[in-house]
Amino acid sequence: MIQGLLDGVLVGSVLSLGAIGLTMVMHTLRFANFSHAELLSIGAYVALVSDAVFSAVLQPLQNIISPFSMTWALALSIPVSLIITGLTAVAIDRFIFKRIRDNGEELSMVFASFGVALIIRNLIGLVFGLKTQLYSDDIVMAIILSTDPLLLIKPDQLLVLGITCIIMVLLHLVLTHTTFGYSLRAVAENPSLAQVVGVNLSKMVTMTWVIGGGLAAAAGILYGLNNQISPIIGKNLVLPIFAATIVGGIGSIYGAVLGGFIVGIASSFALLVLPSGYSPSVPFLIIICVLFLRPNGLFGEARV
Amino acid sequence: MKGRAKIKVWGAMSAAMLCIGLLGNQVLAADCTTKIGVALPTSVDWGRPIAATTQFAVDLVNEAGGVSGCNIEVVLRDTQNDPKVGVDAARSLVDLEKVKLLLGAVSSGVSMPILTSVTVPSNVMQMSCCSSSTAFTKLSEEGKTKGLWFRTFATSEVQANAATILIKEQGFKNVAIFYKNDDWGQDMGRLVADNLKKLGVNVTTSIAINDGQASYQAEVAKGISGKPDAIYLALYPKEGISIVRNWISLGGTQEMVVANSLKSDEFRDKVGFKYLAAAIGTDTSSPRVDSATAFIDIYKERFDSEPNGPGLSNAFDATMIALLAMQAAGKDADGPAIAKEVSRVTDPQGTPITADTAGFKKAITILHDGGSVMYQGATGNVQFDKNGDVFAPAVAWVFTESGIKEERYVSLEEIKSFMDSIN
Repeated sequence: MIQGLLDGVLVGSVLSLGAIGLTMVMHTLRFANFSHAELLSIGAYVALVSDAVFSAVLQPLQNIISPFSMTWALALSIPVSLIITGLTAVAIDRFIFKRIRDNGEELSMVFASFGVALIIRNLIGLVFGLKTQLYSDDIVMAIILSTDPLLLIKPDQLLVLGITCIIMVLLHLVLTHTTFGYSLRAVAENPSLAQVVGVNLSKMVTMTWVIGGGLAAAAGILYGLNNQISPIIGKNLVLPIFAATIVGGIGSIYGAVLGGFIVGIASSFALLVLPSGYSPSVPFLIIICVLFLRPNGLFGEARV
Repeated sequence: MKGRAKIKVWGAMSAAMLCIGLLGNQVLAADCTTKIGVALPTSVDWGRPIAATTQFAVDLVNEAGGVSGCNIEVVLRDTQNDPKVGVDAARSLVDLEKVKLLLGAVSSGVSMPILTSVTVPSNVMQMSCCSSSTAFTKLSEEGKTKGLWFRTFATSEVQANAATILIKEQGFKNVAIFYKNDDWGQDMGRLVADNLKKLGVNVTTSIAINDGQASYQAEVAKGISGKPDAIYLALYPKEGISIVRNWISLGGTQEMVVANSLKSDEFRDKVGFKYLAAAIGTDTSSPRVDSATAFIDIYKERFDSEPNGPGLSNAFDATMIALLAMQAAGKDADGPAIAKEVSRVTDPQGTPITADTAGFKKAITILHDGGSVMYQGATGNVQFDKNGDVFAPAVAWVFTESGIKEERYVSLEEIKSFMDSIN
């Protein structure tokens, strides 16, 4: 039971990071972006490349930060990947979504996002191959917290949770204590009204993509740290991330965080109740239950 | 200017005609081609070598003059190892390309819907290199395959029995099972669990693993909680890597018995050899006969590497036997007619023929005179039972520092006597 909670929190933190970006984009730009999860893959692969570059240039960076499986090179790669992925997200918007936004309608955007997802996924496959890759070949042993009931935690899990918490607190502070944060929230709330009071809309849209992309990159790296990296990370995570976003309520950042943890923990607990083959259905069951009780998600508000 | 342009055009045209003339001379049997359909997961890394091996067999046959004097053209479609894509691929091969013979697919989960919704309704013969689910046997016993289904891969039962023999030999008392949640995996998981129960070995948990889950941590933790002294894995490399890495990091036992699907360098490299030293795997094997070695030799000549990937020798035999049957059935034969001839080219009383160009040439003559042949291929003297199934011996293999090596040979007799002893 407690083990399930621990495992669920870990998956949940990755989903939360992914869901925050998705919910911001969905709310600000008013479209369901199915290519968002591909940003996780981009983030994971950028870090993989940057990790290799750092390790090659500076040998001491290959040392592992004990007791984790992360090397200094990978730690340095995180900010690099955050920035590059954020900029990639902006570029994708500039070259694809913006044009469609200007000329097409919401549904065209959704279809375009499917296309973008396929292109990114296959490009990654072309460049890096379909094989599984790892940041570190070593397997770090779990710490036994208790033997009866058996309770195990991997140091990497603590690391993932720690990094997630830091990122979330930072984001919270930015959103609630800076003019930039206020503007961002204002645009998400009502773009026209925000422009009336002098918020630069296109700049805020760009920033939404940068933040969304950066958070997705963080999620991708943390996912890769605990699991493995392959071009289908995005494909595997897109539905749970959407589930987290919808459960939390579209537009609510705190809802997305909560939604991510709910989906992660529930999938993990599902094994206690359901036969093991059925756990992928859990996110959808949660969506149905939440939407039944609160049609706009847990924290979402009805949009006029 | 105009005149010069005219000369150029004429020059180009005569050059083109010369080329066509040369081509015509080069390819002797090019006056007609027969299309065969091949549906394989070419977008999956282990699928491509299977497709290449199939093409290799076809090339050998074409060198022998083709089937009924016609060159065989492979129309290859990707199944992406996905049932929906696979059925679409098969549909286009049967409906648009009008093939009478379909080779494929790999996973039982893909071959099955192709068989039931495409090939059987359209009277097309289907032969798979790699599907091992016992569901096909059941389907055939119910008469629903109309005798159009064959496979050169032994059923899951052979491997499940080999795995049970290994577990019994090592004396494990509590075993946890992880199986892929598809036709093949469910089969393996169930067969091994049943066998172990009959032997009095405790199966602590049996966990279905879906593809592409966000995390397998919870599944692994559930497996650990039963404190097994060994695990049995019927998984594919991608999920296998994830499960085993998690398993080891949570302090699970390194005693593992694994299915042939994990006989992969990717799995060994990504998990790490040092954690897999105690792992032992099963695979169906070629009988120890000369024809199997002969295949390895011609394969190495063509591809510069040993046929180490899953299903390669089986894919080769499937292609060869299917084309022999096509030859036996004569020109423009339909699916059922080709399927009927399979027994004539795998006749234990027939004239032995080798699995190469010379062998095919010899078979053409014998079959033309109404005789029967015994195909001796990469997996030995293949013989199908009434359900289109083959039996095969098994091998136990282990990972080594640099590759994979065979540990021991489990003969067909040993497998059969074990089957009798527990039933």
